[in-house]
Amino acid sequence: MNFLRFLSFLLLTEGYLLGSDKILFNRDIRPILSDHCFSCHGPDKRARKADLRLDTYEGAIRDLGGYSAIVPGDPEKSELLLRTIHSDPEELMPPPKSKIPKLDSEKIRLLNQWIKEGAKYQRHWAFTPITDPKRNNKEHLIDHFISKRLKKEGMALSERADPYTLIRRLYLDLTGLLPSPEEVSAFVNDPSEKAYGNLVDDLLKSPHYGERWGRHWLDQARYADSHGYTSDSERQMWPYRDWVIDALNKDMSFDQFTIEQIAGDLLPDATKSQIAATAFHRNTLISQEGGSDPEQFRVEATMDRVNTTGAVWLGLSVGCAQCHDHKFDPISQREYYEMYAFFNSAEDKNNTGPTIPVIEGELINSPEKNEKNKANLMVMRDMKDPRETFLLARGDFTTPDKKTGQLNPGFISAITPDLEQKEGKRSRLDLAKWLVNPKNPLTSRVTVNRTWMRYFGKGIVETEEDFGTRGTLPSHPDLLESMSSYFIDSGWSMKKLHKLIVTSKTYTQSSKVSPQSLKADPGNYLLSRQSRIRLDAEIIRDAALSASGLLSRKIGGPGIRPPQPSGIYAFTQNKKKWNTTTGPDRYRRGMYIVFFRSAPYPLFGTFDVPDFQTTCTRRARSNTPLQALNISNDPAFMEFAQGLALRAIQTIPGEAETTLDERIRLAFKLALSRSPNDREFETLKNYAIEFAKDISAKGDGEDAKSLINEAIAKSAISLDQGAALVAVSRAILNTDNFITRE
Amino acid sequence: MNYLKEQTRKQFFGNCGVGLGTLALNQLLGTYSQAKHIPKIDPSNPMSSRKAPLKAKAKNVIYLFMAGAPSQLELFEHKPKLNELNGKAPPPSLLEGRRFAFLKGNEKLLGSTRKFQRHGQCGMTIGETMPHMSKIVDEVTWLRGMTTDVFNHGPAKLFMNTGFQAPGRPSMGSWVTYGLGSESSDLPGFVVLQSGPRGPRAGNSLWASGFLPTSFQGVPFRGKGDPILYLKSPEGMRRDRERTFYDAVRDLNKIRLDDVGDPEILTRINSYEMAYQMQSSAPELMDLSNESEKTMELYGAKKGDASFANNCILARRLIERGTRFVQLYHSNWDSHGGPGETLDKDFEKVCNDVDQASAALILDLKQRGLLEDTLVVWGGEFGRTPMGESRKTTGRDHHIDAFTMWMAGAGIKKGYIHGKTDELGFGIIDGKVHVHDLHATILHLLGFDHEQLTYRFQGREFRLTDVHGNIVKEILA
Repeated sequence: MNFLRFLSFLLLTEGYLLGSDKILFNRDIRPILSDHCFSCHGPDKRARKADLRLDTYEGAIRDLGGYSAIVPGDPEKSELLLRTIHSDPEELMPPPKSKIPKLDSEKIRLLNQWIKEGAKYQRHWAFTPITDPKRNNKEHLIDHFISKRLKKEGMALSERADPYTLIRRLYLDLTGLLPSPEEVSAFVNDPSEKAYGNLVDDLLKSPHYGERWGRHWLDQARYADSHGYTSDSERQMWPYRDWVIDALNKDMSFDQFTIEQIAGDLLPDATKSQIAATAFHRNTLISQEGGSDPEQFRVEATMDRVNTTGAVWLGLSVGCAQCHDHKFDPISQREYYEMYAFFNSAEDKNNTGPTIPVIEGELINSPEKNEKNKANLMVMRDMKDPRETFLLARGDFTTPDKKTGQLNPGFISAITPDLEQKEGKRSRLDLAKWLVNPKNPLTSRVTVNRTWMRYFGKGIVETEEDFGTRGTLPSHPDLLESMSSYFIDSGWSMKKLHKLIVTSKTYTQSSKVSPQSLKADPGNYLLSRQSRIRLDAEIIRDAALSASGLLSRKIGGPGIRPPQPSGIYAFTQNKKKWNTTTGPDRYRRGMYIVFFRSAPYPLFGTFDVPDFQTTCTRRARSNTPLQALNISNDPAFMEFAQGLALRAIQTIPGEAETTLDERIRLAFKLALSRSPNDREFETLKNYAIEFAKDISAKGDGEDAKSLINEAIAKSAISLDQGAALVAVSRAILNTDNFITRE
Repeated sequence: MNYLKEQTRKQFFGNCGVGLGTLALNQLLGTYSQAKHIPKIDPSNPMSSRKAPLKAKAKNVIYLFMAGAPSQLELFEHKPKLNELNGKAPPPSLLEGRRFAFLKGNEKLLGSTRKFQRHGQCGMTIGETMPHMSKIVDEVTWLRGMTTDVFNHGPAKLFMNTGFQAPGRPSMGSWVTYGLGSESSDLPGFVVLQSGPRGPRAGNSLWASGFLPTSFQGVPFRGKGDPILYLKSPEGMRRDRERTFYDAVRDLNKIRLDDVGDPEILTRINSYEMAYQMQSSAPELMDLSNESEKTMELYGAKKGDASFANNCILARRLIERGTRFVQLYHSNWDSHGGPGETLDKDFEKVCNDVDQASAALILDLKQRGLLEDTLVVWGGEFGRTPMGESRKTTGRDHHIDAFTMWMAGAGIKKGYIHGKTDELGFGIIDGKVHVHDLHATILHLLGFDHEQLTYRFQGREFRLTDVHGNIVKEILA
């Protein structure tokens, strides 16, 4: 199959319902109407031309004065079709002026056939109730659907990954840390069936699981340690970060997790922890610029709460309806401000919220509480007298639309038309419960899809941030349905969802890319192999800390400030306080590094950590020369390389020459959880020998001294040999393999 | 290995000339895209140079961003009537519907104490604090009718850079490098330089790539020390040793590529090679010692300074070496009248910082034949009010309804004054240019229809000009 054909095969066959030749609205027609018609004949009332809407059946067949855009069954009488081929540019649709391309013959053919077949509309798939498709219950839920689809294309899953790759993969995915060589050996040498399952259970019980998956959640919560905007001064939100880690470690059900963060303060007898959870929506930016109108920024923060809620739970760009009715999805501007009304009565004093005092350890079930580290955590609390909510014309806070009248909190009706709307005034708690109502068709699908994306590199719905009509269709619709049902039925258990995924053959298969599978499916949409995924910035650091043996495993508490070069704040308005953390704390995990939105720790910016101005549901994954410079030359990574070399020296005592092979192998194993193959070993060994030779030949003792650390200097090893081992360790940390989950 | 590599490359870039890598996937497999100017990006080298889809006048951009917003009423807009009415209340009709950041409503009109003179063939009036700029008036198009939507520094700077007042959208430099890539293989395609007492408000979001791939974000070069963080090898790793290091890493990556076949490893190999190249090209760039004394004098630059003048020379050097988009920020133009922000001494100082070098850049580019395909843009995020603002001294507040910018070089008229404001400088009478229009015009000069250079994100085609923007045809040469 050549590339173009492959592409059309994906576009045309990956419809929501498979194996049907009949025209399907969602698969075949909606994309055409959406691309070519909806900007003027869609949901947006104000932009609508000729009072014609084509996004609903009723709108499309409406009598326009003796004729209709669509006459079901009769293409020749359907004005819509005539207009797409009209020879008069004044009549042609889309109008040439609009710069929207005209329809090609294939699209016209599809429209023609669709109208002939009765012009049936379908509800957008993501807004229909979640189903539980039939399947073979003896087979793993995931493998059933993945294999079925692969089989249809004459393909199959790859073989299981080798145990070395597998254990490193599982450790990185579930904890973000590396297994020790002992853990690797134990796993590799355990032939029992249960070994893998036991490992999964152990890792899901590890407190580092909460850190790993908490970090993904903090991205969505746009968590940071500074206010943002121009002054970007420091704030203390870390107790919220700790709350997230703890909730995940306890496997708090996702519905409860949602309710506490959106409306924990409104629960009856709310506990301190539940109130702390509402800090989720206090991660908004705060402007401290003189001369600014606090109301403007309060409105912006409130809008951000609406948009974040929409993106995180519903996978919808509700923000599009801020200024006008959504152009493509059934979200009116009025509904946007009804959702806005849920958040509009939050207490606000110069854009800051009320605070509660929290001491270190209080929210993470830790027996050790440190009274010395105390934070005033901003939380949500509603005003006694709620603010009035108006639709804001053009999204501008200075132009409330008083004519339309005051708006009450309300839900987006297209998502749950069948859910009875509770009488009386609704609160954030009602919003939270609506989000996790099993009848809400989006929350489970969106959450499952995003979890999937972290394991396979992309979602079943690739546009994980857009489950609306313009998003991509799911590559495996039945799988998404089945997993979404499973997630709800499991009592919204996130750990069960993880277990389901990582115990599948789809997950445990090899990520090797064979020429055949690359040819058949270059983007790996059908999952005939696992995906190699570059590690997130924090995990790159964590993995290097694990390998070097320097890692401090302390969980929670105030952030840390590892050494960073001077001049980081040359480009910010204000200088930040960066008193370098000393002692073992500086070797804590990357997620604890204090995050200034205007000038993050350099490693983060270089490896695609977003600036958290707004919610981030999916990080970019770039591959740049600046990344190469960072790992090669950042003194922190030199320190990790020295740590790795030292570990090899200390674990394998003896003469440098006679132990060189073993030491290289160990350093390699500590970083990559496997032994080098012959070519890799030769490469490293030659590099080490040449390096040491070069040092001694040139008499560069001083160079060697600056490459090793004190502990290496104190060990019995010679300068040139010590430096060579550091060089080898540095090279290992710089391999693509090291920063990749394979 | 070779077969695989071949196949990989073919699959990824060969068959239909469209890169199906991480970058383009989104667009190919989303609902097909409508816009015509979506660049074809080689995923193993996203910054490789691309041809503009339309006829382009400009290849490169140097944007001199005057952070804090210079007063057009002291520099470019001679208003005798304002001087005459100095101290009087402004006519209420002129205040209606306008929004200001700090003014309370009882402020009086403030005439300028600066002397103005007409210069050149075009007769542009320039205030006395810009003696050098008055010599290049006939090289430049003056935009006296600039207007923006936002009156606070951070949001207004974002608006000027990204077309949107909140963070999260790609900056102009990101759009341009997304569209055109870069001619340089050993320096970043989009570089940011900064001078003056403080960094610009809104910081890194001004050169962020937003939802575009991060390869297109601006790379801030630091004025002192290493221009790029971690450029220098660790102590003890001399240059020849680094070659063996990069070779070892490359060999290890090649072995892994053979074993696992992931084409992303090819990109990693390329990235490491460019990193090695940058270690020599970046210091070479920053080293002004081979600039002639005459050139240094022209700019008023001194070796070793982190000044605007030095940055202007660096901007030229970057363009010479193939960088696509260079943006310079200089602060502080925020003349409210408070300490450090007075309209007399402090204003003179910041004029002095930029006047000579701004003019020198035009002259230098011209004499080297670079002005023909380099577009130079000069201006702040908004202008300043005709009313005085009372602080420690009297200054001016933020004014969004009318201010002045200038453009020069590729495809731009020489010695042309576009736009006119009323006699007090409150509003525009003629030749209004909105920020979106400026963006549309810049993209036009670079060979793009601003409505067609788009990126699909969250189900929508986004562009620099959002849903606005008209090309300012009058200023095109």
